[in-house]
Amino acid sequence: MSATSHLRIEGLTKIYGSTAAVEDVNLEVAQGEMLVLLGPSGCGKTTTLRLVAGFVAATRGRILVEGKDYVSLPPYQREMGMVFQSYALFPHLTVAQNVTFGLRMRKLSKAEISSRLEETLEMVKLTTMADRYPRQLSGGQQQRVALARALAIRPKVLLLDEPLSNLDANLRQSVAREIRQLQRAAGLTALMVTHDQDEAMTMADRLVLMNEGRVQQVGTQEELYEQPLNPFVARFIGHSNLIAGDIVDADSFRLPGGGVMKLARRYAQRGPHTLALRPERVRLHVGGDAAPPRATAQVEDATYVGGYVDYLLSFEEGSSLALHEPTGATGGTRRAMGETVAITWDSLNERLFDPKGTTIPAMESA
Amino acid sequence: MAVTQSSVAIAPGAAIPGSPGTVAALTAVTRLLVVVGIALMLIPLLMTAYMSLFADGVVTFPPSGYTLSWYGRLAEFPKFGQSLSTSLRVAVMATLCSLLIGVPASIALVRYSFPGRSALNVLLLSPLTVPGVVIGLGLYVLMVDIEIRTEFPLIGSDWVLILAHLLITTPWVVRLCVANLVQLDRSIEEAAANLGASPGRVLWSVTLPMMRQGIVAAALFAFIVSFENIEMTLFLISPGMITFPISVLQYLEYRFDPLVASVVVVQTAVIAGLLLAIDRYVKLSKVV
Repeated sequence: MSATSHLRIEGLTKIYGSTAAVEDVNLEVAQGEMLVLLGPSGCGKTTTLRLVAGFVAATRGRILVEGKDYVSLPPYQREMGMVFQSYALFPHLTVAQNVTFGLRMRKLSKAEISSRLEETLEMVKLTTMADRYPRQLSGGQQQRVALARALAIRPKVLLLDEPLSNLDANLRQSVAREIRQLQRAAGLTALMVTHDQDEAMTMADRLVLMNEGRVQQVGTQEELYEQPLNPFVARFIGHSNLIAGDIVDADSFRLPGGGVMKLARRYAQRGPHTLALRPERVRLHVGGDAAPPRATAQVEDATYVGGYVDYLLSFEEGSSLALHEPTGATGGTRRAMGETVAITWDSLNERLFDPKGTTIPAMESA
Repeated sequence: MAVTQSSVAIAPGAAIPGSPGTVAALTAVTRLLVVVGIALMLIPLLMTAYMSLFADGVVTFPPSGYTLSWYGRLAEFPKFGQSLSTSLRVAVMATLCSLLIGVPASIALVRYSFPGRSALNVLLLSPLTVPGVVIGLGLYVLMVDIEIRTEFPLIGSDWVLILAHLLITTPWVVRLCVANLVQLDRSIEEAAANLGASPGRVLWSVTLPMMRQGIVAAALFAFIVSFENIEMTLFLISPGMITFPISVLQYLEYRFDPLVASVVVVQTAVIAGLLLAIDRYVKLSKVV
């Protein structure tokens, strides 16, 4: 990756007073790649984007584009096109004047400006709106103007700050696809920020999950979902049951209440650990299942939600587990509340984290 | 510090719980209050306009007849031309100068943080808290002292009046521009920088055009505050040079005839015309 990386962020840190908003962020984005920064609010993703744009001065670190360090340059010399969450269109300028603003700042020739304007407006299908003012446009159209304005300067890197959050839910998908298409067509390296997991999953080539100013995991959608590196990733991407207990034997996991689960794999470690299981990867054990029952629990609640039945199961003394049973096979019949059920899961779907939050390897399949 | 615009929309019958009777009563009370408010503002104006039509040389009620002739005799009003032109000159200059001070100051106050920021804010608004008579007297004593020491005539000069009026117009400019600026989306300026505009270009091409409404409102207030000022100005005029409101005041000291009413009507009409003209370019209902 490093040979082809177009944007490289090294040890980027921003400290406000005594708290680090962004701490030691290292990222590499390949030419033409869309990297999406994801995380809860206050995780440092927006600050990271603003550091790259130059609106926030870095405490430490480097921001390299094509090998050149941009970290100490002011925003107007960074050649990065940004699409703002609020779109930030110039209210006193027309669509055409908005789109050509960056070109006029670059003192391009009139001919060049008008040909780029035409080309860009065509790309975002706004040719007929050139003389309108932003307030005369719908939210989706304003968004496209913001995108066109950023694309017109042919930026080295495209920065997108929550680009879909101000749109109606039914518009989001089509706009997301459109942004992706334009970014791919232009071969632009892009960095996007979002708090919405679905949005991140649909838009990204690769994802960066952040929390408390630090990068938790970088990887593809599959990597983050299937192989979360720590409990935070497991819980944030999709949903995971995080069950505290002790590994008491190579394949035995004892819950605080005393019950023991049979693990799907064997582990060398002992002592307190956290078991992560996804609700849709755990199933009710029925006769004929190849995997043995791994634990028993009581049905606390069972809700039919269409595609699956959402079970809340409880173990003795507090531990509980969410389980999604697809309705396709059962026709949606639910187990009675209070019924004791056996559950099982396959070895691929089991992950254990040590108290420091790092995932521990299995010895071999049980 | 910031005056933020707020609008409260009351949808009758929607937000207020209660029987239709209660709602109707509340609506009636609201309407009554609006009517009383408008009447309080309009009655003095209408009375003045009414009096300017009286035929008698001394205002008596009921009048013996009505005439428009007072309007033909405006030029007879003592110092009408001199006082009106002085007032306009001073108001225009005070407005321009207070914009030159107040607009940059409000940008600095809202967009930058620097040592002494809150002190500057208080300093710029403080003249509003001091009665005009006190400022006027203070300035008068100061000017007289300087005149004695330098033997340079200050009282009655345009520049002294303009400087004094700056004290009362600048706080208005700062208040209105600050209120306008805090509403503007900061990221619009960031977008301009992102597109390659240097800080100077951002200010000139984006910030100032976006502040247009605030600046117009500020200019308007500054002009009116300066034009109408009496209490502070009283101390700073000379017999040869007075402002328009003071000429009206002086006239009323020894005479009360419909001429002064017609003069005031003309003045009100001029200011109203000015407001209407500005409203064509900037919707005043949005800025004030």
